[in-house]
Amino acid sequence: MSEQSELARNQTASIIRTKIGEPILRQLQKGQVPELEILSRSMENVDFDENAKLLKLGSKKTTRRMSKLSEIRPFMQTVLIANSIIEAKREGQVVTLRDVYYANVSPMTGSSQKTLKSQEESNVIIQDLEVMTGLLREQMGIIADAKGSLVGPLTIKSRGDVIPCSKQGDGAWSIPSMVDDVEFLDTSAKFVLVIEKGTAFQRLNYGRWWKKHNAIMVEGGGQPDRGTRRMVKRLNEELGLPVFVCCDADPYGWHIYSVYRFGSMSLAYTFEMLACPKARFIGISASDIYKYRIPKEGLLKAEKADLKRAEDMLKYPWFKDEFWQKELKLFLRRQQKSEIEALSRHSYKFLAETYLPDKLREHGVL
Amino acid sequence: MAQSFEEISAADFFYRNRDIAGFTNPARAIFSSLRELVENALDASDLSNIPPDIYVRLSQEDGAETEEVAVYKMRVEDNGSGIPPRHIPSAFGQVLYGSKYKLKQTRGTFGLGGKMAVLYGQITTHKPVFIASSTGTPRIHGYKLMIDIQRNRPLIMERKDYLNRERWHGTIVEFCLEGDYYRAKSKILEYLKQTALVTPYANIIFTDPKGMFYRFTRGTAEMPPPPKETLPHPYGVDVENIQRLIRVTPCRNILEFMKTHFHRVGENIARRFLEFSGIREKRNPKKMKPQEVVKLVQMMKRFNGFLPPDASCLSPLGEELLKTGILKELKPAFAAVRQRRPATYSGHPFVVETAIAYGGNIPKRNDIQVYRFANRIPLLYDEASDVSVSVIRSINWRRYKVSPETPIIILTHVCSTKVPYKTVGKEFIADRPEVKKEILNGIREVARQLQRFLTKREYAESQRKRLGIYDIYGPIISRSVGGIVGLPQDEIQNLIDITLKRQ
Repeated sequence: MSEQSELARNQTASIIRTKIGEPILRQLQKGQVPELEILSRSMENVDFDENAKLLKLGSKKTTRRMSKLSEIRPFMQTVLIANSIIEAKREGQVVTLRDVYYANVSPMTGSSQKTLKSQEESNVIIQDLEVMTGLLREQMGIIADAKGSLVGPLTIKSRGDVIPCSKQGDGAWSIPSMVDDVEFLDTSAKFVLVIEKGTAFQRLNYGRWWKKHNAIMVEGGGQPDRGTRRMVKRLNEELGLPVFVCCDADPYGWHIYSVYRFGSMSLAYTFEMLACPKARFIGISASDIYKYRIPKEGLLKAEKADLKRAEDMLKYPWFKDEFWQKELKLFLRRQQKSEIEALSRHSYKFLAETYLPDKLREHGVL
Repeated sequence: MAQSFEEISAADFFYRNRDIAGFTNPARAIFSSLRELVENALDASDLSNIPPDIYVRLSQEDGAETEEVAVYKMRVEDNGSGIPPRHIPSAFGQVLYGSKYKLKQTRGTFGLGGKMAVLYGQITTHKPVFIASSTGTPRIHGYKLMIDIQRNRPLIMERKDYLNRERWHGTIVEFCLEGDYYRAKSKILEYLKQTALVTPYANIIFTDPKGMFYRFTRGTAEMPPPPKETLPHPYGVDVENIQRLIRVTPCRNILEFMKTHFHRVGENIARRFLEFSGIREKRNPKKMKPQEVVKLVQMMKRFNGFLPPDASCLSPLGEELLKTGILKELKPAFAAVRQRRPATYSGHPFVVETAIAYGGNIPKRNDIQVYRFANRIPLLYDEASDVSVSVIRSINWRRYKVSPETPIIILTHVCSTKVPYKTVGKEFIADRPEVKKEILNGIREVARQLQRFLTKREYAESQRKRLGIYDIYGPIISRSVGGIVGLPQDEIQNLIDITLKRQ
């Protein structure tokens, strides 16, 4: 378990106090109308380091001044929700984003407005608090829908329960929102396979593929939630296991790979906590469609949305390398896509016994 | 003008060309008649220097109330100087006869308006006009007159004197005319309102054919100093003017002639001018040949040694009176007025007054409203062609914090011995560069005052809003910050209050 995040989690209250409460108090004591400084989360303030393949927030700051008519409302919302997080911690409660909204929306005396217009507003404030405190909202005790699962030769400890992830029958262990509470006890795995689709994951699990290849299999239910991403990152960084991502041969699938690998521009500040820069892509790429000769009948025609997304991805800083530019352009030229399951056109065993071993061998883990 | 048309009488000429004097149609005719008589009445009281009480009554003559063209009886009473009895018949019964052909500022200048109304009444109803007037003598002189149009002579139908125990002075005019009051109503009311604004020392009462009673009460008894008569300026005369002067002058040499008949021409300037023109000082003006007169006029335009005309002959309203008028008739939240220094164009002195009124009872229109005045007459027609309007359109109003929704009225007042009207109808002022410049600068001055007012108010508004905002957000902020740092809310709220008080 990461000691740093353990510390952070338990000290949520004191971090909010030193980073938000005390500066305000000091300004008031000096007779200044208080203001808060936040690193800007706007696109212009996101840097992509080409060499290290890292996303980082720049140094541009925005201020929230209590003296400004246009800024006093977000200023109020920031301290309101910060205080509410501390209260939840004090009561030992784990809460959802929606809980936070309902707990803090209230009428204001002397105004027709409410403290919060919608959950959207409190969600944005929570993102600001993440940037200000350097804590993930999960570390502050705010959770969201968790939908990822994991299976393989890994023993963990969660809330005092020792759980062998290899003994889940035909099911798998559900990855919780607050992954930092999970302690890794032991593993014999050699690598991690992240597979986009629940169905493909299940088929491989029925076949005990992970046992045969001594792997941990993770599935995020399509677009992965933050818990799943944090889990993959921890498996990679704390256990030193190489991570491979396999997804559909379409822009949506490739985007999912990039979420594991980089996160998103709009949440660039979570890169350090959630992105797994060492994750590697093992297809299915556009060129794999033709390399593995997926028959014509197994191919789908790209839709407008696919083409639009591919066009956008050409401009992502992390897709600027030769490999991805070539792949995306190939896709745009041929306008064909394919699902993982289409490999079954060759045979039902093709994914498990030919495609994956092939790809993993290329990367030297098999 | 009178000379050029000696073949037909002046009355006949205007009878044939009544359109040019503003009698185009029944609605316009009733408006113009009322306006001309009210202006005569106001001019009469300016002369006597007594705050005017004007009473105007319009009643329908032929009984049946229709919305169509009908015969109306118009009665206008004033408490002005009155007309000496021997002048009464000509003053109302002879076109182009009057007291206004001298060079000083009066409301009308043709001496035509009142008679035109009477003439129009006569040709549409064939009824005589009734005049009663007294200069404060023991008698009031009453006349019933008609105009002999072909001979341009008054026909006295009836004459009667009344005893004047109270030494009343003033004039009453009553006559019938065909008109369309219902189409003219809004213009008439607008005219009276603007007249009351620019004549804030007058009481004006108007009863309309339906018996509606409109009253414009004076806001002050103070009157602007009356204008003085003045001589023509050499820059402003033409050959015809000179020839008329020659006919009446007692001067036997041109040097005396120049000194006697022109504005701001003394011995020295007259000498230098004659030298410049190559005219002998001893030349007898009565013996000058036509081409000599033409040369004299040409030289007058070319000589740059004349002094500019002074403005003593003008009677602008003055900033204080203009403001009084604006406040009483428009009831704005803010008003700024400005009188420019006298200037001249082509030898005619003029003074521009400008004002801006904002907010209060002024309604929001999606455009700036303009009230135009010339020699204290409101100008209501042909607004789009007026120099003031083109000046206002040329200004970037956003610089003065004025948007199309801002409720403002801009007033311009041009006073001159010769207002540069573009047409005979006297409804809009021509684009003279000198006049345009004065109007532009005048409007800018009042616009800057408005801008300062709006800025100040905006600041006060945002201060008030800010304080209100603190009342709303302050308690939530103090409770939350208190919770975060572990201090009671009151303590934080105190700190906030102290800090805000210092700002």
